[in-house]
Order: sequence, then structure tokens, then C-alpha cells
Amino acid sequence: MIIELKDINKSYPGAVPLHVLKDINLSIDKGELVSIMGASGSGKSTLLNILGILDNYDSGEYLLDGVLIKNLTENRAADLRNYMIGFVFQSFNLINYKNALENVALPLFYRGISRKKRNSMAMEQLERMGMADRATHLPGELSGGQRQRVAIARALITNPSILLADEPTGALDSKTSKEVMQVFRDLNAEGRTIVIVTHDPGVGEQTNRIIRISDGRIVS
Amino acid sequence: MIDLINEILATLQHNKLRTALTGFAVSWGIFLLIVLLSVSQGLINGMETMFAAHDTESMTITGGWAHKPYDGLSEDRPITLRDRDLAILKSKNGSTVTSATARINSDTIIISTQKDYLSDGFSGVYPSELRSEGATLERGRFINEADIRSERRVIVLHKKNAEILFGKHTDPVGLQVKVGELSFTIVGTYDHEWNKRSYIPYTTARSMSGGSDKVNRITVGVKNLNGLADGEKAEKALRQTLGREHRFDPTDSSALWIWNRYNQHLATSSAMGAVQFAVWIIGLLTMLSGIVGVSNIMFVSVRERTHEIGVRRAIGARPLAILRQIILESVAITTIFGYVGIISGLLVANTINSLAEKGDWMFLKNATIDIAIALQVTVVLIVAGALAGLFPALKSLKIKPVEALRDE
Repeated sequence: MIIELKDINKSYPGAVPLHVLKDINLSIDKGELVSIMGASGSGKSTLLNILGILDNYDSGEYLLDGVLIKNLTENRAADLRNYMIGFVFQSFNLINYKNALENVALPLFYRGISRKKRNSMAMEQLERMGMADRATHLPGELSGGQRQRVAIARALITNPSILLADEPTGALDSKTSKEVMQVFRDLNAEGRTIVIVTHDPGVGEQTNRIIRISDGRIVS
Repeated sequence: MIDLINEILATLQHNKLRTALTGFAVSWGIFLLIVLLSVSQGLINGMETMFAAHDTESMTITGGWAHKPYDGLSEDRPITLRDRDLAILKSKNGSTVTSATARINSDTIIISTQKDYLSDGFSGVYPSELRSEGATLERGRFINEADIRSERRVIVLHKKNAEILFGKHTDPVGLQVKVGELSFTIVGTYDHEWNKRSYIPYTTARSMSGGSDKVNRITVGVKNLNGLADGEKAEKALRQTLGREHRFDPTDSSALWIWNRYNQHLATSSAMGAVQFAVWIIGLLTMLSGIVGVSNIMFVSVRERTHEIGVRRAIGARPLAILRQIILESVAITTIFGYVGIISGLLVANTINSLAEKGDWMFLKNATIDIAIALQVTVVLIVAGALAGLFPALKSLKIKPVEALRDE
């Protein structure tokens, strides 16, 4: 089991505290392609942030690949994100003054890998995504689908335990959406564990398991 | 390192105008600091050169008027120094006085050649007069001990006077002049800004003074002095000794005029130190406004890049990596523009310096800063840049990745 959530609770403080996740129990096996679906405000993004160690939770336990993710220091959290998690965002989140190759290589920069080595590794990833000829292009010079491929290459370069995607097709047209989903399916076929958060049933259908979340609870 | 430079360049290019304005503030601050430091150093050097020509370990005493009644004597008596005061000062004030020399002035005797004549008069002096007058030898030699012993008829002229007497193109050393009716041999010429007296040996002047033992002034060399208080004490002791001898109240300050070169030098030196201190303060404060500008630009930069920082954190950047990048960026801005300021400051300082050399300004000499100060300024720049970046960087650390990612 690669992801194990036990009785996770999370609320945002305020005049009226907002209880966004209520007793979440969830297990995801290695090699699964899972989608988390829910309406806006259902708590699915918070859940993804907790899975990605970007946010903490109030109570419960989260085990990622056997590591208890709780009360981590900022440095430890940063290292775990770097080594275990690959993020793909709706808005790509590429750094706009860096070209595709530099963007893909960036996670390795924070591992202290030499420029030469990480650039050759980044080139390899771009080749896998069919983006080798766009390596020196800035994100602004790429189409949405191409940008998302670069972002996926960046997520994969660290060879993470899981790939977390937050509405990866949200900013794409239906044709490129299909292509990007095909990329995810291919990666899953290679054995990658992938969790996709979406509100698009079309995306959910293409995954092997759909976890529906509503009002902070898992409904199915 | 290359990545870091690339990232810094990218940020700076992102905000060209703002970077240029902030950079200008830093450059301007450093520029002023360098120019001020150079010019003040030049002033100090100029002062020191002037003092170096002077003997700072000496005091010159001239007779004045006793205005207070003393020992049964009435007020308003002239005090005249005499030959024997030299020996008295040496024996009574031996702890501070190393030497005592005198000078006799004669203001009426004409010095002449067949070509022209001088009416500046002459002074009978000891060899130490050259230094206590602050004159510099131009040709030949000054009066020496042998001249004093043998009462030689030798004379040292101001270089302008020598030109008057012999013309511009003649070397006057070895030639003869008439002092009154007597023939003197010129042994040297000297240069001084305003004093143009002709010098002959003291003993020679003495024998020409017709039996008088009057001296115009006495210069004593001083030793074992440590600070202004000591200088004042030594001066007081001179008044006491001469007061007893000439019967005047030692507290009667007008009885003797004492030029205390020792204290004057100390006072001027400390004033120069204060000037330099003030220059540093002014320069650093000017620089501070530039540094605040850099801090400001870094705050804006952090704010604008919150989202990017979030992305970097999400893909595994440690907080320290972000901190380092922002601080180094700030150091880069201050150092690069600071160096522009240093270079232009040095150029201006050099221009001032060459103007001073051409114009022969005595008060300004070597108006440049040495490498040690350039290094100090470099250290100040790097520290200031780091400080300017520190607060924005600390702010960036407080940004949670999840909030930063939400920030579009």
C-alpha cells in the first residue's frame, strides 16, 4: 500500500471554523490510477494538498510509502516532496523565464545534482513526452497541451512514488485533454501510481477507481 | 553557481526600470562615499605634508609686553629675549627642552648684487631653523654647525630672491652678494610659500649686531611630551622660567608669545580624524538610502514571485534554498551597482587629484583612497546587500507553499 489515510480531519480556523475533511479513510495501492471527484468546495483539493505534503492535517494518520507524514519540519517536508511526490497542476505552474529543459530539471537542482547531469536527465524526460524539439522554448511559446507535457516531465524526473495531478486537463481543450489523459494512462501502464483530482466525469471515467468526495466525506 | 547567476539576471531583467533606479541609488551612495573619502584623505595628506616640513616637536618664543604689574614693576613693559635665555631654558627646563636656538632679525640691511637689491632683511639662525620654519631646501645646503662655529659669511636665499639678484638662468650657489658692506657667499636656496628672508649663521649675525645680546626669538626643541596636557604644561614651564628671569607674572599671557607647534599639530590631527569620521558617517548614511531601496525592491520581488516560490517549494526546494537565492540576489544588486559607484567615484577623485597637482594646491595631496579602504567598502557593500535581502527573504520563508500556489 502506497497511500494510507486513517481518520484524517482537517478544519480551517476562523470565526466559524470550517471542517473540510471529516474522518477520511483511504488506501491506494501501488500502481493504481485513481481519481478523486467532487464538487467545488467538497474538500478534494485540501485532500490532495495533504497527500502532497503541502498542507497539514489536524488529526489522524497519513502513511506515504510507509513513512508517517506528521509534524514534519519544513526541510523534511521539502525533501519528501522532492523525492516521493510529483505534482501536475491545472495551470501548469512552469517558471515562465526558464525554458522547458530548465523547468524539467529544476527539482534536481534542489537535490544538488550537477547541471550537466540534470540537463541530460531532463532531456530524457522531454523525449519520453515527445517534447525534445521544444526543449529550449519558454513556456509562453508552447501550447497548453505542450506545457502540461513539460509539467508532467518535471513531475516524473525525480522518479516519485506517486504522481498527484490537480485538474490536469482543466485548462485544456477536449482534444488535448484526451492526449494528456492518454499520457497518464501510459504512465500507469508502466506501473506509476497516479492520483488525479477532477470534477470532470470524462476524466474520472478513464481512471481505474473513482473516489467520490462530498462535504468532506468519502461517499464511495 | 551559473544557475544562480541566471536566475538573478532573469529577475533583474524582469524589472529593468526599477532595478536601474534602485541601482542608481546604491551607486550614488557609494560614489559620494568614495569621493568624500578621497578628498578628505587628500586634505589630511596635504596637512600632513605641511606639518612634515615643519618641526612639530618644537615651540617658538617671542618677547611680548608684560601687562600685569609684578615684583614691584609697573605694567606695560616690553619683554626682550636675550642670548643667555638659551642656556637658562636648557638647564632649568631640561626634562622637556632638548635644544634651544635663537634668531636675530635685521630688517634694514640691504642685500645687493650689481644687478639688483633686496630689502627683505636677513635673519641670523641655527641649522634647525629650516625645519621649524617649514621651508624646503631647493639648491645647495642650509646653514650648518661649522658655519655657526666659524662665524662664516655665508647666506641662504629664497629662490625668488636669488632670481632677482642673478636672473633666472644662473645657479647662485657659490656666488657672492653684499650684505650691507660685507661680502657673503651663497651656499643654498630654499622655497617657502610666503617667507622670503635671507638666512646667515646666528654667530655671524651676532657679531654684526654691535655688542647687543638681544634675540628676536627662541625656538626650543621639546621631548617627552604625551598629549595636549603635557604640551600645555611644558609651555607653562617655559613661561615660569623666563618669568623669573625677566621678572614678569608667568600667568601674564601677553608677556611672551609662544607658538606651540606640538599642541597645534595634535589639535589639527584630531580635527582631521574628526573630519574623516564625519565623512564616513555622511557617506554611510547616503549609502543607507540606497540600501533601503534595495531592500524595498527585494520586498516587491518576493511579493511578485510568491507564486513562483510556491511552485519551487512544491517541487522540493528547502526554505533555506529560497532564502539564499533572495539574499544573493540582493547582494548581487548592491555589489554590481556598488562597484559602478566605486569606479566612477575613483575616476572623479583622480580628476580632482590631477587638478590639484596641476594647480599646485598645497592643501590637497594624493586625493585617492588606498586598497584597504576599497576592501572595507566592498565588505560594507556585501554586508549591506545581505541585510537588505534578509528581511524580504525572511518574509518569503513565512509563505506557506499551499498559499503561495493559490496566489496567482
